[in-house]
Amino acid sequence: MSLTKTIFLTEIAKGLALTLKKLFSRPVTVQYPEERKPVAPGFRGRHALVRDPETGRDRCIGCMRCAKVCPSQCIYIETERDPETKRRVVTKYEIEALRCVYCGYCEEVCPVNAIVLTEFYEYVGYTREDLYFDRERLLKNWDEFIVTQKRPYFNPFWRPRGIPEKMLPAPKRKAEGV
Amino acid sequence: MEAVLKMATPWLILILEALVLLVVALLHVAYTTYAERKIIGHMQQRLGPNRVGPRGLLQPIADVVKLVAKEDIVPSGADKSLFYLAPFISLVAGATSLAVIPVWEKFALANVNVGLLVILAMSSLSSYGIILSGWASNSRYAFLGGLRASAQVISYEVAMALSLVGVMLMAGSMNLSEIVKAQVASPFKIYAIPQIIGFFVFMVSAIAETNRTPFDLPEAESELVAGYFVEYSGIRFGLFYLAEYFGMVVMSALAVTCFLGGWAGPFEIPGIPFFWFLVKLYALIFFYIWVRATLPRYRYDQLMGLGWKILIPLALLNIVITGLIKVLV
Repeated sequence: MSLTKTIFLTEIAKGLALTLKKLFSRPVTVQYPEERKPVAPGFRGRHALVRDPETGRDRCIGCMRCAKVCPSQCIYIETERDPETKRRVVTKYEIEALRCVYCGYCEEVCPVNAIVLTEFYEYVGYTREDLYFDRERLLKNWDEFIVTQKRPYFNPFWRPRGIPEKMLPAPKRKAEGV
Repeated sequence: MEAVLKMATPWLILILEALVLLVVALLHVAYTTYAERKIIGHMQQRLGPNRVGPRGLLQPIADVVKLVAKEDIVPSGADKSLFYLAPFISLVAGATSLAVIPVWEKFALANVNVGLLVILAMSSLSSYGIILSGWASNSRYAFLGGLRASAQVISYEVAMALSLVGVMLMAGSMNLSEIVKAQVASPFKIYAIPQIIGFFVFMVSAIAETNRTPFDLPEAESELVAGYFVEYSGIRFGLFYLAEYFGMVVMSALAVTCFLGGWAGPFEIPGIPFFWFLVKLYALIFFYIWVRATLPRYRYDQLMGLGWKILIPLALLNIVITGLIKVLV
């Protein structure tokens, strides 16, 4: 730095000019409870089980893929064989949301698009049990979420990008908005 | 009875004046904190306080209420009497200086002939509060803050006093009202132009004297937590804060009186004789805040180097030049 620049404090003057300019610029603050930033599509928030509009029940077939792929192992599924029809019936589907890392693998891997991470993120609880979602709770989460959305709703994870079409399971290829 | 009343009247008026000055100064101090938070907020593209009252205008009041209501904690092993005394020394020394500042021609609470010396003495005394609080807190951080404060205040005190010598030489008086009158009579109307070196040295050392960024080493949040007042809580902490802002107001007021022509302005404002004084005062306080929003903190050796190697020689040079011109003209 040259001597004249040091004597006349040009660098400090530049800094002062910058702060003065910023004084008259718009603050970037978002006043959260009153204003909200728009949520990006595919935001990974609270868990839900999609309620199928035709059957009125969840779509889970008990394939266990989500439970296997889950990095934090927080999905618990139990199934049994129906003795008459020999079909697999899901008897328990629970998610411990406090352990979830919101990676979205479960919704990506689900062949029937049963599980989804909704774009709803403002949920709290006073106890651990409040954030331990059983099957009914997950369906309720979906009902609460879907009324806030434009129909048909289509989550980007239901047809993950970058995977060739023919590698996807058939229900995922044909997936449509709910 | 009448004789007693006649005797007491000037005293009563003086007390009333002192009260008015104190209340106005306290309000200014309170709203300087608000202005600082708001201005720095906007300079950093934030909003600043905006929740209490319209545009956050009641924030200082809420802060005071909060501080008063908080628990007053004395750390174990602290020197209790000194611990209690320290914030008051800071505050009293800071606020007393206001008494000699001429707000306008007819309002200087104490129109003493050594006004400048009173202010210098008081601003040196206020460092006792800082040093004692650092000593009495029985805490390493506070102690280091106190040590830094003592070294810093002593070295910058010298530069500040020397920078004011030029003003004394030009005005031929240490009475602050006389200085303002001499300024108005001088060819430039303000001493900031002929005393530009003195003004620069004064502004820099005033920032250092009040322990504000970029010379806030005694506080140094990032290394000493809060420096000398770490252990203070509640209203005692508030008193230190108050003292700091009082110091800022006093130093700005001193700069206005000694360098910027005090209450005199380009034209008269009818009804508000102290209008120009306030305008200049607010401009300088804004400058303090502006600098704080812009500059990072000095390193300790840089601070000492700046004080002793640059500011003091500059101030001495200024005295020599002023003296020579005074002799020659």
